[in-house]
Amino acid sequence: MAGTEDETTAGGVPRIVGTSPVRTDGWEKVSGQAMFIADLPLADAWIGGTLRSPVPRGRLRGIRRDPAFDWSRVSVVTAADLPGPNTVAMIREDHPVLAAEEVRFVAEAVALVAAPDPETLRAAIAAISLDIEGLPAVLTMEDALDGRIVIWGTSNILAEYCVSRGDVAAALHDADLVVEGEYRTGYQEHLYIETNGLVAIPHDGGAIEIVGSLQCPFYVRNALARGLALSPEQVIVRQVATGGAFGGKEDFPSVLAMHAAVLAQRCGRPVRMIYDRTEDIRATTKRHPSIVRHRTGVRRDGTIVGAEIDIVFDGGAYTTLSPVVLSRGILHAGGAYRIPAASIRGRAVATNTPPNGAFRGFGVPQTMFAIERQIDRIAATLGLDPLQVRRKNLLRTGDILPYGQVLEEDVGAEAVLERVVEISGYEAWHGKVGRSGASDGHGVSPVAVDGRGDSPRARDEQDGRSLARSGRRVRRGLGLSLFHHGSGFTGAGEDKIAGRVHVRLVPGPAGDADGVYEVLVSSTEMGQGAATVLCQIAAETLGVPLERVSMPLPDTSVVPDSGPTVASRTTMIVGRILVDACHDLAQRLTDARVAGERGPVTGKAVYQPTPGLAWDEVAYHGDAYKAYAWGADVVEVEVDEDTLEVSPVRAWAVVEIGKAVHPVLAAGQVEGGTLQGFGWACLEEIKSSGGRFLNDRMATYIVPTALDAPPITVEIIELPHPRGPLGAKGLGELPIDGPAPAFAAAVTDALGLFPCELPITPERLLALQDGPPTDLASAAESP
Amino acid sequence: MRIAFTVNGVPREVDAPPLRRLLDILRDDLGLTGTKEGCGEGECGACSVLLDGALVQSCLVPAVQLSGCRIITIESLGSQTAPDPVQQGFLDEGAVQCGFCIPGMVLATHALLARNPKPNEEAIRAGLSGNICRCTGYERIVRAVQRAAESALPSTPIAKAVAATTARPQAAQGSVVHSPTTLEEALIVLRTSATGGAADGTGDRAADGAAETLSGLTILAGGTDLMLPGAQASPATGSVLDLSRVAGLAGVCIHKDIIELGSSTTVATLADNPDVDRYLPALATAARLFGAPAIRNRATLGGNLAGASPAADLPPALLALDAIVVLASASGRRDTPLDVYFTGYRQTVRRLDELIIAVRVTLPAPDTRQAFFKAGTRRAQSIARASVAGAARVDASGTLRSVRLAAGSVAPMPILLRETMRLLEGRVLDAKLIEEADRLAAAEITPIEDVRSNVAYRRFVTGRLVARFLREYCRP
Ligand SMILES: Cc1cc2nc3c(=O)[nH]c(=O)nc-3n(C[C@H](O)[C@H](O)[C@H](O)COP(=O)(O)OP(=O)(O)OC[C@H]3O[C@@H](n4cnc5c(N)ncnc54)[C@H](O)[C@@H]3O)c2cc1C
Ligand code: FES
Ligand code: FES
Repeated sequence: MAGTEDETTAGGVPRIVGTSPVRTDGWEKVSGQAMFIADLPLADAWIGGTLRSPVPRGRLRGIRRDPAFDWSRVSVVTAADLPGPNTVAMIREDHPVLAAEEVRFVAEAVALVAAPDPETLRAAIAAISLDIEGLPAVLTMEDALDGRIVIWGTSNILAEYCVSRGDVAAALHDADLVVEGEYRTGYQEHLYIETNGLVAIPHDGGAIEIVGSLQCPFYVRNALARGLALSPEQVIVRQVATGGAFGGKEDFPSVLAMHAAVLAQRCGRPVRMIYDRTEDIRATTKRHPSIVRHRTGVRRDGTIVGAEIDIVFDGGAYTTLSPVVLSRGILHAGGAYRIPAASIRGRAVATNTPPNGAFRGFGVPQTMFAIERQIDRIAATLGLDPLQVRRKNLLRTGDILPYGQVLEEDVGAEAVLERVVEISGYEAWHGKVGRSGASDGHGVSPVAVDGRGDSPRARDEQDGRSLARSGRRVRRGLGLSLFHHGSGFTGAGEDKIAGRVHVRLVPGPAGDADGVYEVLVSSTEMGQGAATVLCQIAAETLGVPLERVSMPLPDTSVVPDSGPTVASRTTMIVGRILVDACHDLAQRLTDARVAGERGPVTGKAVYQPTPGLAWDEVAYHGDAYKAYAWGADVVEVEVDEDTLEVSPVRAWAVVEIGKAVHPVLAAGQVEGGTLQGFGWACLEEIKSSGGRFLNDRMATYIVPTALDAPPITVEIIELPHPRGPLGAKGLGELPIDGPAPAFAAAVTDALGLFPCELPITPERLLALQDGPPTDLASAAESP
Repeated sequence: MRIAFTVNGVPREVDAPPLRRLLDILRDDLGLTGTKEGCGEGECGACSVLLDGALVQSCLVPAVQLSGCRIITIESLGSQTAPDPVQQGFLDEGAVQCGFCIPGMVLATHALLARNPKPNEEAIRAGLSGNICRCTGYERIVRAVQRAAESALPSTPIAKAVAATTARPQAAQGSVVHSPTTLEEALIVLRTSATGGAADGTGDRAADGAAETLSGLTILAGGTDLMLPGAQASPATGSVLDLSRVAGLAGVCIHKDIIELGSSTTVATLADNPDVDRYLPALATAARLFGAPAIRNRATLGGNLAGASPAADLPPALLALDAIVVLASASGRRDTPLDVYFTGYRQTVRRLDELIIAVRVTLPAPDTRQAFFKAGTRRAQSIARASVAGAARVDASGTLRSVRLAAGSVAPMPILLRETMRLLEGRVLDAKLIEEADRLAAAEITPIEDVRSNVAYRRFVTGRLVARFLREYCRP
C-alpha cells in the first residue's frame, strides 16, 4: 500500500497516482468551512414542508384547509396545482410528485407548504386535514406475491429477470446432494449524517435552479425538466458539499427537488427544504429487504454442480430504481464461484411501504449474504471446512459466469482469499479447534499480525465497555466471506450514458506555466474522494503537479454529463474518459498555442464502448460488467453467552481493485463500507407496524459508534485492469458486500447456531437457540 | 431574554427564548455554521462544542444556561497555514470523508486529550463514542487522535469570562425564566407556580392540588431529556425554572455512614468520583455505561429519577443500593425510599411543588457485593433492552444476606425483583439455586415488546443477568 514516491512519470513529474496526498477538500472539512446546504445564507428563502399520508393505502377523497388559518401567509401545493405531469421521472413514471387519488405508503407526500418561518409552517401543515378512505394494504413480500390484493400492475411485480446456463435439472438430479436454504435481510437506512436537503430558486421565464446535497445532478435536472415541463437548459442543478450519500442521494433528491421547485414557483422565492432526521428516515429510500432461496447441487467433495436461486426484493410502493438494483443482485447471486449450471430468477415486488432505492452495494449485499451463507451451509452439511469449499469452487481466470461472461482478465478471487486467510490466522484458529459448527466455545485466538497484541482485543480495563465485560462468559468465533462487485453500470448502461468529460486549462498571469487545470464533470464528491482521485488522474496524465488541478463542484449549466456518481463507476469509467480528455487537451493546447491563441483551452472526451464486450438485454446474457473487483473478509466476533450480544472485535479485509489511485482513500472506503456492513449485520433494524416505521430516530435506528467498531486491517492487492485508468477498477461498493456473511459465519463458529436472517440481534439468536436444533444435514435432500 | 457569554473568546450577547438551542444560536444568530446538526436529539455528536471546557451537544443546551459561559467551536481552531494539531492529525491520517461529523469529532478529540493526553485505543473509542461517523469506520479517526496525542496541544482559546448574569424572572416572548441561586428561592418559585402562579399571589393552596396549575412551569436540570424534540409541551410560552445555578445541589459527600449525592450531580461525576467508585460501584458502573461523554457531562441524577423512565440506568443501581430520595418543597423535606418512589409508567410520588434535591445511600457493609449490567442497544449511546443491578452480603459460610436485585426496561417502571430476592435471602449459593433465581427473575417481571426488544428476550436476559450476578459476584 505504500506510495511509490520515487517513481516519476514520463514528464519528469513525481508520480501522483498511487500516492496519498491530503485530500483536496480536507482543510475546509476539518475547519468547518465547507458549506453544506444548511450553511448557505439565503435571506429571502422560505421553508418548505410536507404533509404526508398517515396510512399505508387509501383513497384520497379530499384535502381540507382550516378556514380559520390565514392562508395568505403561506403557499400550498397539492397534486391539482402541479405545473406539469404528476411524475418524478426515473426508470418509470409511476412515482407521483404528490399523491392524487390514492396514497400508497405511510409518509407519502400529499401536500406541500412553504412559509416564511418554521412556526408558520408547522401551523399551516397542522391546519390541513386529509380525508382518506383506508384500503387494504400489502405490507409484506409474501402478501405481494400471493397477489390477493393487487396494488401495482396486474400482479405486484415491479420487475422480473431470469438468468440461466446449462441444464440445471439434470445437474441437480446427478448431484450427490442438493442443499437448500432460505435467507432474509432487512432494511438498511443510509443514515448519512447530513440529511437530504436542497434549495430551489425560481428564475425568470419559469427557469429553476436547484442547489443541494445530491449525488447525481443530471438525474435531478432530467426529472425537473419532465415534471415542470421545462427544457433541460431551463433547469440548473448545482451540488454543494454533501455530507454522505451512500446511494441515499441518488434517486431521492429528484423527489425532493420537485417538491421544492413547485413550491418555489408558487411563492416566487427560493424555498429551502431540509428534512429533519425523522422525516428523512420515514420518507426516503432504504436498502431493499430480501428473501433469497437457494437449491445447490453438490458433490461429496464440495464441488458445486448446479444451482437454482430465487430472489425477491421488496421494492416498496413505486418502481424507483428497483429493476436495476434487482438486476445487479441477480447477476451477483452466484457469488465468486464457478456454477456450471444455474437458473436464477429475481423479482422485485410492490408493497405499500416507502419506495426502496439505491444503497451502496445496490442489491449485491442481499444476494451475496445468501450465497455466502449457502456455501457455509454446504460445508456444514458435508462436514467440510467452509474455506475448503470456497477454495474448491472459486472463480479463476477463464471461468464463465452464469450469464455467460468469460472472465478473461486476471481474477482476484484466489488472491484475496488466500491473503485474508494468511493475515487473519484463520487456518491456525480453525486448525486448533476443529471445523466450524462442531466446536464449543473457543478460548484460542488467531495469530497476531500487526503488533496490536497477541489477543485479538487485549484492551485495557479502563472504560465502560471493558468494565461491563470483565469476567464474562464469552464465546469467540471467526467467520470468512468471499465476494466480488462489477464495476460500472450493468450491461449496456455505460454505452447508453455515453459519459462526457472536459478538462480546461485556464492560463495564469504567466500564461500556461502557472495556469490551472479544471476537471469538469458531473461526478460528485460526497466524501468518497472522487474530487481528489480524479484530480490525481488528471495531474498524472497531464504531467503537472496536483496543486494545479482542481475539480469544481458540478453545475449542470457548466459541466458535461459524465454520468451519475453511482455503480462504483467514477474512478474506473469517468477516470478513463478523463485520461482521454487530458490527451485531447494536450493536443488542442499545442494547436492553439501554435496558432497564437492565448485564452483558456478545453480538452474533451466521450465514453468509448469497449470493443468485444456484448450484452443481450433480452436474453440477460453476455458481458454484464467491464471489470470485477474482488474481496475477502474475516471477522472475529465475541458473543456474550448471557446476553447473546455479538460484537465484531477484529476484522480483516483484503480487496483486489486493479490499482489504488489513492491508497489511503481506498482503504478508507474499505473501512467505512466494512463497518456499514457490520452495522447491517447486527445492529441496524427497522421494525414496522401497519406500514409505519418504528425506528425513525437516531435513538432507535442503531448504527455503530466507535466502540461498536472493530479495528479493521485492510490490504489492497493490485492486478491492473486494461480497461481502467492506469489499471484501476471500481471500489466504492465492494466493501459492503462481504461483512454480513462473514459476521454470520463467525456467529455460527462461536455458537453452533446458523443465522439465516439479518440483522443478527440477540432476540433472533435467542429464538434460534430456543428453536428446534439447526440440523443442517436435514436441509439436504438426496434426489 | 438577553444572554451574555463568550464564543471563541469573543464576548457575545443574544436575545433568545430560554429554551432556544445553543446550536441555533451559533448557526442562525451568530452565523457560525461549522457546528452541524445531524439529529437534534443528542445522538450523533455533529453539533458538539466545548462549554466551559466540557464536551456538550449544542442541540441539547438551552440558552438560559449560557449566561457567563465560555463556548469553543470549530471556528476557533487553527488556520490553513497553521492547522491545529488535531486537525492536522485528521488530515494526515486521511480521517476525513464527507466531513459532516468532523467538526464535532475534532472538538470531542480536544475534550478527550485535555482529560487524558495519552489515551490508549479503547479510551479513544470511548472518548469519541458520542460522535457518529457513517463514512470512515472510525479506523483512521482513531489513528488521527493517536497522532494528535503525540504532538503538544496548544490550549484552546480561553476567554475572559463574562460575568454571569443571574436571570431575573423576566417576560421574554411570553415566557418567564427563573434562575435562582439558592434552594429556598427555587422552592418558592415552585410553590408560587404550583399554587396558581404569581398573579394569584395566594400561595396557600394545598400542594396536592398542584397538578392542574403547575403545567406551565418546566424544571430544567441538564436538559438531556427536556431538550429533545417534543419533550416540552409549549417551549415558547411556558416558564422555566433552571436549577443549574442553585448552589449546593451538585456534589458527592459522606457524613458518617451516609453518602449523599446532590440532585444536580452529573452522570460524569458519578462515573469518576472516587467515593462513588469505592462505595457504590454498581452506581459507578451504571454511570459509565450511560450515554456517551457529552451526555454524561450534562445529564443529572435528579433528572434521571424525575423522568422516571423504565429504561433509565441509575434507578436499578440505586434500588439495589436501597437509596432514599430526598424531596423538598417550600413547606419542608421528606425522605422517600426509592422502592416506593416509582408508582407507575413515568409516575412517582413526587408532588409538583417538590424538587428532588438529593439521593442518600447508607454506606454498604464492606462485605457487600454489588454489580450493574446493561444489555443495551449498542456499546455507547445505548438504551437498555434490559438492565439488572444487584447487591448482597455474603458471609464466611457463603450465606446470602440483604439481597437486593433490581431491573430496568422490564416493567412499567424500574423495579425490585422481590420474589427472587426472597428466594435468595439466607440461602447458600449453589448451581441449582442460581438456576432457580434465573427462572424466577425471568418469570416475575412484566416486560413488553417495543422498538428495542421483545418479551422473550427481556425475560431471558433478566434471568441470565441475575444468574451472572450470583455466579460472578456472590461466591464466598
Ligand atoms: C443521547 C442520549 C443518551 C442517553 N443515554 C442514557 C442512558 O444511557 N441511560 C439513561 O438512564 N438515560 C439516558 N438518557 C436520558 C437522560 O440523559 C437522562 O434521563 C438524564 O439523567 C436526565 O437528566 P437531565 O439533568 O438532563 O434532565 P432534564 O432533561 O433537565 O430533566 C428531565 C426531567 O426531570 C425533571 N427534573 C430535573 N431535575 C429535577 C429535580 N431536581 N427535581 C424534580 N424534577 C426534576 C425535569 O423537569 C424533566 O421533566 C440519554 C439521553 C440522550 C439524549
Ligand atoms: S445534532 Fe445530533 S447530537 Fe446534536
Ligand atoms: S466523514 Fe462522513 S460522517 Fe464522518
